[in-house]
Amino acid sequence: MMNGVRKTFGQKVAVEGIDLSIPQGSLYGFIGPNGAGKTTTIRMIMSILFPDSGQLSVLGKKSAVESKDRIGYLPEERGVYKKMKVANFLVYMARLKGLDSAGLKPKVMDWLERVELAEVAKKKCEELSKGMQQKVQFIASVLHEPDLIILDEPFSGLDPVNMRLLRELINDQHTAGRTVIFSTHVMQQAEQICDHIVMIHEGKKVLDDTLGDIRNRFDPRAIHVDTVGGADQSAPITAVPGVANVRIHEGIHVVTLDEAMDKQQAMQGILGAVPVSKIEIKRPTLEDVFIEIVTGGTASGDHEQVRAKLLAGSKETEEVVS
Amino acid sequence: MNFTKIIRVAGREFASTAMTKGFIIGALVVPAVMAALIPLIAILSASAQPPADKGTIYVLDRSSEVFEDLSERLSPEMVRERWETRAMKASEFAKGMMGNAGGDQVESAMSFIKTPEFRIIPTAQDVDLEELKEEIRDQMASGAEPEDPMRKVLAVVEIDIDAAKIVNDSEGYGSYQAFFRPKLNEETVGEIESGIRWSIRERRYENAGLDRSQIAQLASIEERKSKEITEEGERNESSELATYLIPVASLILLIIATMTGGQYLLTTTIEEKSNRVVEVLLSATSPMELMTGKIVGQMGVGLSLLAVYNSVGIAALIAFNRLDMISGQTILLFFVFFLLAYFMLASMMAAIGSAVNDMREAQSLMTPVMMMMMIPYFFFMPVVRAPNSMLSTVSSFVPPISPFIMIMRVSSTDPPPTWQIAAVILVNIVGVVVFLWFAAKVFRVGLLMYGKPPNLRTLIKWIRMA
Repeated sequence: MMNGVRKTFGQKVAVEGIDLSIPQGSLYGFIGPNGAGKTTTIRMIMSILFPDSGQLSVLGKKSAVESKDRIGYLPEERGVYKKMKVANFLVYMARLKGLDSAGLKPKVMDWLERVELAEVAKKKCEELSKGMQQKVQFIASVLHEPDLIILDEPFSGLDPVNMRLLRELINDQHTAGRTVIFSTHVMQQAEQICDHIVMIHEGKKVLDDTLGDIRNRFDPRAIHVDTVGGADQSAPITAVPGVANVRIHEGIHVVTLDEAMDKQQAMQGILGAVPVSKIEIKRPTLEDVFIEIVTGGTASGDHEQVRAKLLAGSKETEEVVS
Repeated sequence: MNFTKIIRVAGREFASTAMTKGFIIGALVVPAVMAALIPLIAILSASAQPPADKGTIYVLDRSSEVFEDLSERLSPEMVRERWETRAMKASEFAKGMMGNAGGDQVESAMSFIKTPEFRIIPTAQDVDLEELKEEIRDQMASGAEPEDPMRKVLAVVEIDIDAAKIVNDSEGYGSYQAFFRPKLNEETVGEIESGIRWSIRERRYENAGLDRSQIAQLASIEERKSKEITEEGERNESSELATYLIPVASLILLIIATMTGGQYLLTTTIEEKSNRVVEVLLSATSPMELMTGKIVGQMGVGLSLLAVYNSVGIAALIAFNRLDMISGQTILLFFVFFLLAYFMLASMMAAIGSAVNDMREAQSLMTPVMMMMMIPYFFFMPVVRAPNSMLSTVSSFVPPISPFIMIMRVSSTDPPPTWQIAAVILVNIVGVVVFLWFAAKVFRVGLLMYGKPPNLRTLIKWIRMA
């Protein structure tokens, strides 16, 4: 789908040589901190921006220009016509996407009911809360039953209830066989829905794999141990066979294992060695994976730095042009 | 380019602008109400006339022969009679111009103007004029109205001894001097002055042994409408007013229509951008489709405005029976020039609207555009006076002001040759293409740019970039 795509804005390289192929019917998550190039990549897929070099094909066409009606897009910079009535706005968007006006009204009402907004159909868009507007915009992106749905930061600004509702709706679209791409800078969200993750960092693709494979590949081979009373038991744990090293992070013993060591066996060894209140195998989070990739798995001090940078980055607003 | 999408964008653009209460009231109802209000205002201002002046006029007639005529001329009966005839004539004139309704309005307006009433008192030959003037001053100073309103002194008139008869050959006829109480109605002063002059003349004629009616006959020449000889035959010579009226009306109408459409285009573009709805739209349309749709939609707004105002104007010309002042060709050209002018202005507005974040930022970029729109106003006088001068011809070939200059020339009484009109249209079509091309480039880049408002240099960079 994408081949060596590059885009620069003045001096700044926003996207550098991304190769990407998204099979039909899959659910892809684009992750990475703000400013990583997710939105630029998505805008290039949408033919809103054009790459400086490299090739792109969308739904078998050379660019999305020819297949815009088959794509549903929820941009990150999204808005509604303030003075337009909700239902009219949706009808207008659907008609712009080439839908016939026949049967459109009931369809709009049907969707509004699904997101529990039926009662605002006749209200002006400006009367809606931000979360409500976001749901309306989501409807606008799926109303024309597109083959490809691209959602840029669809969860930002939603409360947990609506977040779950939206997650279900996205899953429905996925189950219906549609290709879904969505981006987020909150990696847990990607973990919850996606079956395939593309990680973008500083304009480069740093990861492109299924969630399961990523977990296997980035298995930290670590066990978390809470000791009874929180006492420092580093010494006895280190003595357990197969334990490579132990460090204490926020009161928890992080036990790193030897390469060949079986995790179950190691856990039993630890349980025998010290009084334990809680013990678990550490599963890699995308956040860990991201940090691992960015720092190249070096010293732990760097991890913290990157983590802080990552969290700070998520608070900044994304600026396309410097 | 997908035409269905363009039409849908245009439809929404038109509906969201023209189908609003604000637009209908502002653009259509207000002018209609104004048209209805103007006669009403005329009546109101007439009815707000101060009360008629009543009072005494002292006349020191040193010639001893003018007074008799004067006192008759300014007698209440004569004054009233004259005022009534005058009102009737005005109303007849108005009927001829505007039909019965207009005539009635003028008549009722005239009836509000109160007829003044005078008491003419001759003074002794040896009276001290200063004393009479002092009486006015005293009355003014006391502030109170005298018990009998007729005792109020309005004027003191002194007529020279030789006003009607030459006493000394070397000096010729004498004259008169009038002293008025301040703040009298203009009509009152006029009535008194003309009464004195009429009476003095009357005496002079008689003394010279001439018949007044004969002199009037000798002086009067019947007026006939002058004609202009043209290729097709003859036509009424255009009046001074008509020469200016049609071109200036056309110019103003053209500017209003283009500016309205252009302004709305700017506003809706900025709105879409600041609402962040623009990227949602771009997922359905290309920037070119969006811009074209918006420009076409606002063109509809300008056209409907033009259609309404034009029909009002044509209706007015029919009512005044002056339809000859404007030709079908001029009206057709008017729409052609509107389209040309509008597309150039709209290109600039779309480019500006897409480049900025809010209305405030648009102001600085709007200044050159607004200044450019002022140029036709400055050119109005020289162009209308000499529609085919070098200045007029050259300026009518410079887009984007060209359509505005050309509409003045075309609607003037001395229109340019057809080849020039055709050439100007051609030049403007090229201008429109160039303007649209630049606008499309800026529009494409500008729409998704947020942050620092661009200056002209950045705009040029965008044009290169796109």
